[in-house]
Order: sequence, then structure tokens, then C-alpha cells
Amino acid sequence: MSKKLLTLISVLLIAMFVLSACQPAETPAAEEPAADQPAAEEPAVEEPTVEEPASEEPAEPSTEAVTITIWNQWDGAYLAAIEQAFRDYEAEHPNVKIDLSKPEDVKNALTVAIPAGEGPDIIGWANDAIGEQALNGNIVAISDLGVDTAFLEANYEPAAVAGVQWSGMIWGLPESQEGIALIYNKAVVTEEYLPTDPMDFEDLYEKAKKFQEDTGNVLVCNQAFGGSDAYHMSPIYFGFGLPSYVDEEGNAFLDTPEAIAAGEWLKKFATVSYAENSYDICNAALAEGKVGMWWTGPWAVAGIEASGIDYGILPMGSPFVGIKVLMMSKNAVDRGNAEIALDIMKYFTSAEVQKKIALVNKTIPAATAALNDPEVSSLAAVVGFGAALNLGVPMSPSPFSSAQWGPVGDASAAIWTGAQEPAEAMADAQAAIEEAVAGMQ
Amino acid sequence: MSAWMGRRKWITVSLFLLPTILAILVFNVYPILLNTYISFTNRNKFRPNPDCEVTLTGLLDPLCWPAFRENAPTGLGSPYTLQDPIFANYDALMGKLFQPDALLSLFLIIVVFAPLFGVNYFNKRQERKLDEKIAPGLLWVLGIILTIALFFILDVPKSIATLMDTGDFLAVVLRTILFVALRVPLTFVLGLILAIILNLEDLKGKTFFRVVLFIPWGASSVAILLALVWQFLFRQQGTINQIITQFGGTGPIWLNNPILAFGVVVLADIWFSYPFFMVSILGALQSVPGELYEAAEVDGAGWWTQLMKITLPLIRPAVLPAAVLTSITAFQMFGTAFAITGGGPQRGAGTPGATEFVMVYAFKQIFQQQNYGRATAFAVLIFIMLFLATLYSLRITKMTKGAYE
Repeated sequence: MSKKLLTLISVLLIAMFVLSACQPAETPAAEEPAADQPAAEEPAVEEPTVEEPASEEPAEPSTEAVTITIWNQWDGAYLAAIEQAFRDYEAEHPNVKIDLSKPEDVKNALTVAIPAGEGPDIIGWANDAIGEQALNGNIVAISDLGVDTAFLEANYEPAAVAGVQWSGMIWGLPESQEGIALIYNKAVVTEEYLPTDPMDFEDLYEKAKKFQEDTGNVLVCNQAFGGSDAYHMSPIYFGFGLPSYVDEEGNAFLDTPEAIAAGEWLKKFATVSYAENSYDICNAALAEGKVGMWWTGPWAVAGIEASGIDYGILPMGSPFVGIKVLMMSKNAVDRGNAEIALDIMKYFTSAEVQKKIALVNKTIPAATAALNDPEVSSLAAVVGFGAALNLGVPMSPSPFSSAQWGPVGDASAAIWTGAQEPAEAMADAQAAIEEAVAGMQ
Repeated sequence: MSAWMGRRKWITVSLFLLPTILAILVFNVYPILLNTYISFTNRNKFRPNPDCEVTLTGLLDPLCWPAFRENAPTGLGSPYTLQDPIFANYDALMGKLFQPDALLSLFLIIVVFAPLFGVNYFNKRQERKLDEKIAPGLLWVLGIILTIALFFILDVPKSIATLMDTGDFLAVVLRTILFVALRVPLTFVLGLILAIILNLEDLKGKTFFRVVLFIPWGASSVAILLALVWQFLFRQQGTINQIITQFGGTGPIWLNNPILAFGVVVLADIWFSYPFFMVSILGALQSVPGELYEAAEVDGAGWWTQLMKITLPLIRPAVLPAAVLTSITAFQMFGTAFAITGGGPQRGAGTPGATEFVMVYAFKQIFQQQNYGRATAFAVLIFIMLFLATLYSLRITKMTKGAYE
């Protein structure tokens, strides 16, 4: 009998171990909201792995050690200057540790991590994600934390101020503005092939045709040509007069004559460019002098400079003006990190920091004081992209904008490869967007 | 006493079964239940959150469980609800199939294959007869000619086009079946040829060739990377086209042409999977007794007759399960297609691309469009289809027969 009892006890023990092993993942999530006030024991419970050294020195009870996690989209040559800015912040605030990470698939990662309480504190993304993330409840409105329109207007450019507001609330702080323009290799493209009027697409086609006849090379490379990419297609559609793909009320504009005209132009232009384009193909071809121009954004400039070519920037069409924003996640509030997170957001988007980053990365700051700084405003990239942004269409933070990417991209790809005629492709895209919008209402 | 013993035995048995039953409940039954429930709702990226007040949602959705409930995101979006009408997701996927012209097309396609089934049935009946046989080969030729004739008389391509237009489900599934139908036999033939060569007695460096030919199978653990190599070969500026240019031609844009892109994916996947067939056939070949061939030679049978009458029938028991397994993996193929074409080339908005197979479609619906309701309905349909197919294939191969005897 005692043997059986022993077996029973050991089985129960094992069960207990197994159950308690499952526990920690859930407990912080469930207890977090209640644990806001007791500051003394919080770090030990919260960040047991990262905060080991900090929790061992209770000499400074006034400042509580915190780790702020930022999920971002910064890559490559871009990242170095940005990281430096955060290291500077850490130096000023010894109790704060900033952890930058770049998950593969942010959207799905957030869906899983936020309910589990393991999401980031700050999310760095483009402003068109605001509506969808707000509907999901992954981000919180920072207007509830004391950021008001007056503060925004005093510090940031008007397009950026509009870009972070949706349904009467403020959802993030703008970091930089982005849009695409033609970056050309001065050694390859002579004056006669440069488009003279940014709205004259016929002229661009004629010049690309002439360039191909004269040199045997392709004039314009754009990663959206042949791929499903509505963002890099935007200068063409909006240049032909589309107000946007989808407006704030959810109306799509792809069955308009303007959109079909843009499709017809695209079909024609496919004969004077590569059949396949991608970021890497364009990057390599521009560096090797095999294409004259690359229709891309400020993020490519650092790489182009590294390849050592002499480049110029010209506006073409009306690109989407995207605002890169920092948003605060729901988890930051649950963990009681909201104040520090907001402080970091304000620090990073400030004119002072954005000026430093702009000088290295050639980005276009959203902070007015940084943009108007003589050192920044004389940068070739800022002048060139600034001209393109002035012609651009601001990206809407409304959730309806998430319905546009797939349909417009697929339709453009089908036109480019000749799978569909422009009118047919546009009609299908219109129907697909309307279906997606209906799913939201 | 005996009742007590019976009960004790029952408790012991159930204690032993409990872990497995728990695991099946947690990892099989619950996901299927949740998936089926979601397939009747309008859950998508704009309605991501549950309304825990609804009984079934509260019970099934993990976000409503006590551990997560406090942290569950509550955004501005309205919660998901049951679809109205309830079969709306299924209707969008294959609703048009039940309209007269689609049903007629389906019927016509079945009619085309009727002669082949007829020949098969007739030959089986004939087997028992001793005399007055009609040669089975002749019947097969007749059947095939009739099928081809019917194919053109009934205009089957038009019927297939009609079926493809009935919604995403049939378009994706028919394309996947075509992929399986091309890939599995081709892989089998390639594997058979290589296995027969490797089985030659006077072949030198056998071990070397075996290892080298087996590499693609081992390499499929890094399938995505190797698929990218295949993509590189078939790019507009890729290796193949550069070779063609050397000979003065202009290569096609492989991956922008629906048929060529499909072919590239089939080719790459054959390369990945022929070693599996090669090895299973090689193993089976070595168990075929050599005396049979000697006896056949004495009787004057040629190489071809030996292959058809001795080799193939004797390796059949080993190869059939391998063929069923390969068909299942081919049906679920994701990596190769996704890495090479990403499901493209695109055929326009709202239509699956030319190489968007079942798994690629499901991936895109869930992870790129977050259209959970539609994707789960698709999964349920595929589940029903594969379940029936598996039951049928078990009957063919009698794989589990031994277990019950």
C-alpha cells in the first residue's frame, strides 16, 4: 500500500512541477495591472532575465530600473545612427535600458505578443498601420497621456501632424517623412534623358524609350514593376490624378478613367523596363550602371552612397507621403512604463535628435525645427525628396487604407506581365477593395 | 470482489489512456473545434477581438479564458460575430459550384473519364473468363482514344474554365491536383530509372553515386535557400537566360508566365523529391530474387518484358505506400512554390496566382490578409477532402490491414 501511496505522491509532485512550470508565462500578464503601484519589488517580478545586474544594487531606490523594448523597421546602414541616439539616451538615464529588435513579421507578432503581455513598449512603424492597430487594441492613444494637438503643431510638420491623428485621437509621434523619387546615376543619365516636368509621364516614357534605343540599357527601375507593390506604384496612379486609392470613408477610386489611364501607361512602360524588378535588382543595376534611375525612397540613399556613385534626385509623379511614427503599445501601459516610453518617444522625435540622424541617414525629419535647420535643408537628399513630398498624397491612418495594398499591387502586377488588360485589372481591384471595405463596416 | 477488480482494472486502463486522450483533446480536437467555429464567423483583421459574452466564443476563444482575459486587447474595432447567412464564408469560396452551368461542367468532365473506368471494369470482369478474351491492351487504346475524342467534342477546357471561376476553392484545389498529378508520376519515373541504374551489378563507384543522388533529399531541410537558387536560375537575367543568350536566343520571362512558372515549380520540386522514390525503389529492387530474371531469360523474355512482368509487380507493395505519402506531401507543398514564385505570377486582384497552391493560399489568407473566417472555412473544406482521400488511399494500399489481423 505504501508503495502505491509513494507512486501517487510522486505523480502529484510531477504534476505540480509541470503546472508550476507553466505558471510564470501567465502570472505577470494577469497581475500586471494590479502591480502598478508597488515599485520596490516590481523589477524583480517583471524582468527577471534582463535586469539581473540592476536589481542587485538597491542603493538607488529612487530610480527604478526599466527596460523599454522597441520593435522597429529600421535596417541596414540606417540602424547605426538610430542606435547611437538611443545609446545617448541610456547614458543620460542610467536606469533605462533600451532594447531594439526587429521581428520578422511585426503584424502577426503583435497579435500574439500583446495579449500574452510580452509585446514591446514602443512600436516604430508607418502611420498607415495606426487605424488597424487601434482597431485591434494593440496601441493606445497618447492623447490620453497628455499629448495634445498644440504640442504636435508646435513641433512637427503639418503633414506629419495630420498623419498621426485618427478618429479624433493622437496615436503616435512622427519621426520622419518618406516618399519616393527618381534617384539617377549622373555618370549614366545625361541631361537629355532627365524628365523635365514631374507630372509629364508621356515624356518619361519617350525618354526611357530613347535611352533604351541609344544605350541598350533600361532607364527606370522600380521594385513595384512586375511585383505586387502598391506603395511604389503610388507616384504613377496619383500622378495621373487619383486623389488616393481609398479615402477615409472607404470609397475606392480604381474604376476611374484616371486609374485606367495610369494602367495603360504602365502597360506601355513595361516595354522599356525590366520584366522583373526587385529592391536587390534595382540596387545592383544602379550601382553597375545598367539602369539610369531607381524610383525609390530615402532609405536607399545610404546604400547608394556606399556604392560610391554620383547621384541626383528628381521628383516624379505624386508619391504616397508616409510618416514614420513611434506608437505606444498597450503593454507599456499595463507594465507601468507609459511615462518613460512617452519620454523616449518625445526624445527620439525631437528636432535635436532627428537633425543628427538626418545628417547621417539623409532622412527627412518630421520635426519642423530639424527640417528648417540650414545644415539639414541643404542636403541634396532632403532637397530632392522634399520636392517629391510636396507633390505627394499623405497616407491615411484610417483602417480602410489597409484594404488597398493587395488589390492595387496585384492589379499592377497583372498589367505589367500582360495577364490582364488595364480596364479589366482595375475593375477587379475596385471589386476586391470594395469587398475588403465591406468586411470592415 | 470481482466487480471491485473490474473497476480497478478500468481505472488502471483509463489512467494509462488519460495522457494520450488529453493530448488528442488539446492538440487535435480543440483546434479543429475552434477552427470550425471561426469558419462560421466574420473574423478578420478588422474584427480581431472576441465578444466573450457570446457563449461559444467565450468558451472557445483563448482570449476569453481567465489567463488572458485581463490582457486581451480591446480595440476600437467591433468584435467578430457569426456570419449572416451562416455559410457566407463557404459560399464565397465555392458557392457558385452549385449553379447549373458549373454542375453541368463538372458532369461533362466526369463523362470524359467514363470510358477509362469502363475499360478498367470490363477488363477486371474478363480476367475470370478463360476464352473469348478481347486483348486488354486493345481495350485500353480504344478507351484512351474515346477519352481524347470526348475531351474535344465536349469542349472540356471551357468546362474547366467555368469551374475555375466558381470561387477560390476549386481554382486552388484543381491547380494543386494538377501539380500532384504531374509531380508524383514524373518523380516516380526518374526515381525508377536512377534506381535501376544504381542496381546494376557491374556499376563502378556505386556508393559515390548513391550519396550524390541522395543529396537533394537531404538538402530539402534547407529547401527555401535551394529554392532561391532555382529562382535565380530562372530569373529574367538568370543563368538559364544568359546561356540562351550565348546561343543567340532570347529566353522567356520564366516566372512571369503562368505556365512556365508552374513548370519551374514542378521541376524544382521533382529535383527535391526524386531521391525518396529512388531509395524506396532501390530497396525494393534488392529484395527481388535474381533467379526470376534468370528464369525469364531462359524463357526468352527481353529487358522490357522483365521490367513490366517481374520488376514492377514485385516492387509494387513497397512503392505504393511511398506514392501515397509523396502525393500527400506534394498536396501540402508550400516552401518551394512560395520561395520561387510567392504564389505568382499574379493574375489580377482577387484571384489566386498561377502557382498559389492549397498551402500557399491558406498562408496568404491568414498571414497576409488576416482573413481568418475565409481561411478557416477553406481549411475545413480541405480537411473534409483530404480525409476522404486518405480513407480511399488506405483502401487501395491496405496499409493498415496488417494491424488488424
